[in-house]
Amino acid sequence: MRVKDVFMTQNIEIAMRMEGITKRFPGVLANDRISLDCRKGEVLGLLGENGAGKTTLMNILYGLHQPDSGKIFIEGKEVKIESPAKAIELGIGMVHQHFKLVDTLTALENVILGIPSEHPMVLDLAPARKRFLSLCEEYDLYVDPTVETWRLSVGKQQWLEILKALYRDARLLVLDEPTAVLTPSEGEQLFKAIRKLTKEGRSVIFISHKFGEVLEITDRITVIRDGHVVGTVPTKEATYPELARMMVGRPVSMDRKPRPSATKIDPVLVMENVQANNDRGLPALKNINLTVKAGEIVGVAGVDGNGQLELAECIVGLRKRTGGSIRIQGHDVDRVMADPSFVGYIPADRQKVGLFLTLTVAENLVVKDYAKPPFTRRGVLRYQAIRQHANRLIKEYNIRTPSSEVQVVHLSGGNQQKVVVAREMSAQPPLVIASQATRGLDLGAVESVHNFLLKERNRGAAVLFISTELQEVMSLSDRIIVMFRGEIMGEMDGEAADINVIGQMMLGQVTEVVA
Amino acid sequence: MNNKKQRGYVSLPGIGDLALSGLRPLIGILLGLIAGAGLIALSGVNPLSAYVAMLKGAFGSPQAFANVLVRASPLLIGGVGVAIGIKAGLWNVGIEGYMYAGAIGAGMVGIAALPVAPIVHIILSFLAAIAFAVVWGLGPAYMKAYRGVNEVVATIMMNYVAIFFTSWMVHEPQPMAEPGSFFPMSRMIAPTAKLPILMKGTSLHPGFIIGLIACVVLYFVLRYTPFGFRTRMLGVNPVGSRYAGVNVRQQMLFVLLIGALMGGVSGAVEILGLKQRVYMDFVAGVGYESVAVALLAGGNPLGVIASALFFSALKAGGATMSIQTGVGGPMTVVIEALCVIFVIGVGYSERKRLERLDVAEKEDKEVEYDVA
Repeated sequence: MRVKDVFMTQNIEIAMRMEGITKRFPGVLANDRISLDCRKGEVLGLLGENGAGKTTLMNILYGLHQPDSGKIFIEGKEVKIESPAKAIELGIGMVHQHFKLVDTLTALENVILGIPSEHPMVLDLAPARKRFLSLCEEYDLYVDPTVETWRLSVGKQQWLEILKALYRDARLLVLDEPTAVLTPSEGEQLFKAIRKLTKEGRSVIFISHKFGEVLEITDRITVIRDGHVVGTVPTKEATYPELARMMVGRPVSMDRKPRPSATKIDPVLVMENVQANNDRGLPALKNINLTVKAGEIVGVAGVDGNGQLELAECIVGLRKRTGGSIRIQGHDVDRVMADPSFVGYIPADRQKVGLFLTLTVAENLVVKDYAKPPFTRRGVLRYQAIRQHANRLIKEYNIRTPSSEVQVVHLSGGNQQKVVVAREMSAQPPLVIASQATRGLDLGAVESVHNFLLKERNRGAAVLFISTELQEVMSLSDRIIVMFRGEIMGEMDGEAADINVIGQMMLGQVTEVVA
Repeated sequence: MNNKKQRGYVSLPGIGDLALSGLRPLIGILLGLIAGAGLIALSGVNPLSAYVAMLKGAFGSPQAFANVLVRASPLLIGGVGVAIGIKAGLWNVGIEGYMYAGAIGAGMVGIAALPVAPIVHIILSFLAAIAFAVVWGLGPAYMKAYRGVNEVVATIMMNYVAIFFTSWMVHEPQPMAEPGSFFPMSRMIAPTAKLPILMKGTSLHPGFIIGLIACVVLYFVLRYTPFGFRTRMLGVNPVGSRYAGVNVRQQMLFVLLIGALMGGVSGAVEILGLKQRVYMDFVAGVGYESVAVALLAGGNPLGVIASALFFSALKAGGATMSIQTGVGGPMTVVIEALCVIFVIGVGYSERKRLERLDVAEKEDKEVEYDVA
């Protein structure tokens, strides 16, 4: 092993090394001869665009997939990881983006699940509890061991996953998008714990798409694009534009989107003292007062789960409010349900709300208007008109599909979203609600969604743009409001918005409103 | 790089997949027949000669085929009622009950000696059947649509109520009951209400024509009307339908009531065409068989035609097979069940296979990336 020898002479200990990992799925080359290493006591950032192959690579490391070729070395020894059990045995811990916890078990039970007991017939939790609590203390990640997991917040569930891995004495911890579900303060606590882990000589692979935190927490960054490694850079030498270029393959502009100044001032959406509950019946919106005018984009910033979803659903009439009034162009919102052409809605969960996966593209494009001419004449659906309509929108919105007769389920995420956008925008509604409209999309699709929204604004639509990605809120909004625990913490001009002020508001710290 | 672009673009099933999706029920049926052959062989009979006897019994003569059509009539009508439910994502398994309700309605009007032309008497009987069945179906349909009760539970339970309600209706001293009979049954329906016999020496009545028309009409409704479009939307995505402005509750109610209506017609056809009296247990599971028929057809109304014919051919032929080869009569029911299981099984494994492809493809997309 010549490569290893070189490292040894440099006196750097390698915790894990992957060499020439190739993984092919039917018709897809997910990993193309990927080689990377993670040193002892370091945080390795794994950065890559959506679909670049990061998750597949980590699933191979954790024994969930077998590579078609390539080798894995743990602490210098070549290993075959044929199952997660083997990975755990080798000291690898993984926190998936979607947690693998048993909801109805307590936190402690989840931690010991799968570990053989010393006395096979008895379940003695006392020693386990002691060890668990000492881990909580050591890493300052406290989770109540007696609480059923479903009652824990998402952030605590993630800590529990980390504690679970540490309980098994993981020496290499893989964190897949760990901060996506955390509030900023929880994120900071996580970072503290990560630093402590590496001080003890453990290694962490940190998968993320957020440049800021990757630059903050990692020691080295490996960038993956289209299934192969673009390069590895020490974090100290990395710069934001450089990383973005490596990741995307071309320079990326992060500037504010240029736009003509708004001319219209008529309020389109007026919300007064709106209150609503979440799915569990707890108050999710508390006295929301909000006006969105024609020709402006109002961005809604905030950590996920602070009432944004409920806000959007109240406006489009999918959720009953418990108080207050919502008017759209002066009409009560309850009319919206009767006439869906009033509001264009790009839902956060496009597959659940926005699309009919096993209907065709053409059918999906008319689900709001199918009963109107020209799609229905004399009570009969006119498929020719429906197809023509579809072909026009496919062209206009650059939806990539072989034909209008393909089921939407076969399209990629970005093109599925374009189907939703095309349908919702083509009716030229006075009000557009975009809720996490770019979630899970790759760069090209994100940009086109942004451009379509800007076009709607310039046409004179009132646009409410809800996103947890601060950067896109800041680049797209004319006005920004910040939500925290169902309340609007403050409002500011998009041009002059200060990211620090918004960040504080997202944490619930009331700041003087900058109008 | 290229590779990834293609993946992001679109993924279509290959020719083999497409052929398979169309052939799926046929493959399932074939597997069911093969498994059935194994069981027949186990009982000591040559499966080939058993199946030949079955084919002869179903298609060997015009009379035999007439028998197939008679058996197919209620399955066609009931099956299409279930099928439209499947398309809307609803398991309307109350056909048995609607058939009883429809039979009581048809029986009440049919027994009465009305001074009208036969065609009028028949139409009136059908209308009564529809009215009874729809009123009967209103309960479970309302519970499902407006109160969120599981429609499987609601409709199945109502089936039992219907059976015993029928029993009560044909017991003396209820006016429908035949006075002084050994077995509780209704009086015979009037000659003017009887469906005409289309072929001498058989009991072939126009029920199968009604069934065929119902299948074709509902196919067109589903495909070519706003109502049908709404129904399919509901079946694919109820939440999305609601958002798109569909009155989801009302749509559910209507779809379930169409099933009830079909069940009522099915019951009326049995009474006016074949049984000529109403009595307890006269349906004998045909309503549940309708569910299997619709399942085999994958909820496609045109598919119901094929699967209803298949079921009734199996039944009619099974009797001949039993007589000629000594294979037990219940064997046909076993073969039916095997076919349904295999069709579902083939569909399931096919879906799993496609899902695996999809998962492999989408796995990498889980990690999101945004840049603003």
